[in-house]
Amino acid sequence: MMRSLLWAETYKLFKQERTWYAVVAIFIIEVIVLIGAYYQGSNIIDILLDNLKESFYFEGELLNGNLLIYLILNSMWFNFPLILMIVISGLLTTEYKDNTLQAILLQPVSKRKLIQAKYIIATLFTVAMVLFLCVSAFALSYLFFGFGDLVVYLDELNFFTHQEARNRLISAFIAGMFPMVFYSLSSLTIAVFLKDTLKTWIVSVLFLIISNVLLKFDFKVSVLNRFFFAKLNDTWQYFFLYEIPHLKIWVNCLVLSLYIAALSFIGIRTFIKNDIG
Amino acid sequence: MIIEGIDLSKSYGKTTALKGASLRCERGKVYGILGVNGAGKTTLFKILLGLLTPDTGKVIYDQSHVKPLGGIIEKPAFYDYLSAGENLKLFARIQGAASSEGHLDGLLEQVGLPVTRKDPVRNFSMGMKQRLGIAIALLNDPGALILDEPFSGLDPRGIKELTVLVRKLAVEKGLAVLISSHMVEQIQQVSDELYVINDGEIIKSGKTAQLIEESIRSYRICAPHLEISALLKSYQHEFRSEDCAEVVVSSQEIGKLVEGLAGERIFIHSCIPNIDINLLFERRV
Repeated sequence: MMRSLLWAETYKLFKQERTWYAVVAIFIIEVIVLIGAYYQGSNIIDILLDNLKESFYFEGELLNGNLLIYLILNSMWFNFPLILMIVISGLLTTEYKDNTLQAILLQPVSKRKLIQAKYIIATLFTVAMVLFLCVSAFALSYLFFGFGDLVVYLDELNFFTHQEARNRLISAFIAGMFPMVFYSLSSLTIAVFLKDTLKTWIVSVLFLIISNVLLKFDFKVSVLNRFFFAKLNDTWQYFFLYEIPHLKIWVNCLVLSLYIAALSFIGIRTFIKNDIG
Repeated sequence: MIIEGIDLSKSYGKTTALKGASLRCERGKVYGILGVNGAGKTTLFKILLGLLTPDTGKVIYDQSHVKPLGGIIEKPAFYDYLSAGENLKLFARIQGAASSEGHLDGLLEQVGLPVTRKDPVRNFSMGMKQRLGIAIALLNDPGALILDEPFSGLDPRGIKELTVLVRKLAVEKGLAVLISSHMVEQIQQVSDELYVINDGEIIKSGKTAQLIEESIRSYRICAPHLEISALLKSYQHEFRSEDCAEVVVSSQEIGKLVEGLAGERIFIHSCIPNIDINLLFERRV
């Protein structure tokens, strides 16, 4: 039955216009970043790095594909998870709104397996969307802006050769899957509690904003500063520190996975416990 | 016995929606649940279908079916961006029912839907949606079908067609069909047995014809020259138009009155019972 439910969830997801709007929206964001960079980017970079250019030798143009991929990667702060949260919460809220959830549960279908299938598909869809963002960012950026060294300001200015930059960007996209899955499943869990589409969107956006605010917040408690969920959502940025803190990245991803598991557990349990209709 | 609900109760906070309701359904019969809006019909159906957990009581099903009950609650629901065939396929696959094109087309034909329609169901009329809802409910061969207010939003032709379909499913497929409505006329036409529910309690049950008869206090009789009848004068009556009168007469006496009028060479062209709703919803002593 689980296979059939996974098939059904995937089928519904890709038959809905909302999903394709999301894919197009992500593509548009990338194109806007590229167009913006094309018309304004080189001037800004020239101003910023004018002094450095006198002291260092840079391979290729500074406004190159790697910098553009890095800029697109930064959509993982807000734009990208926001789109994901809208699509993923719709896996449940539209079913509540259209009463199809009730129609499904009138069939001999396990409530537990149904919601588990939604959580699995939400995770797989999020991973697929991060891969789409990654592949399209690399393809478009290299196609229109070519290769070159990457300059990133993260506490300090860091310079990476083209090959190193490419590897770090790929790793960052992979690490970025964890917070993206976390945000997606958060919205699905919020949908379990709120059921209503608009309320779920508002609370999800609020959750995303608060998470970003709390990232910079000093809790004065070292455990919270280290392992509170909001503090783990920038792990993908660590790949642009001069020395990559591999252990810290692994631990962060592991702890974030535990948060994801806890969120899923709460959502699934609540869904099973609640009456439908 | 296909389905039995015993002493079912349900409250929402301080509001009691259902108070100790019991019912029993047999194969091949249509059971009507008659009640005003808010009487507890939908709560009862949701409990029978397992969507709500009752506070007290239990539901017993015929366990020989993979899917003991199929049903529609309030209004048929499906994925409006999919076609009828796609909806049917999706619902069939998630429950492991036969989902071959031939089988699903057969099901669409059984409920009177064209298999050639490939457009999204959002374009369908309410009547067609009810039919598709029934087709989905029939997947996996349930022993009983529960239809909550299926006549709502249908035009007279749709009501007639749905009545015929429901009767056919009970008689030809041997299904037990439970159908709720607040419309006496529709429930009278479709059901064999009737449960009257009021304020969360089942206050009456029995054969539909009998319960309806007990609630008739008058008839609207129409005949040319009805006003000259001497017999009519012995009954309390009131003329509504030149040839039609509202006559206070019980269902036991109507036959005698009609015969008497014929004896006076007054030939009736219509005789319509007026069901006293208050009497129908009155608890039996």
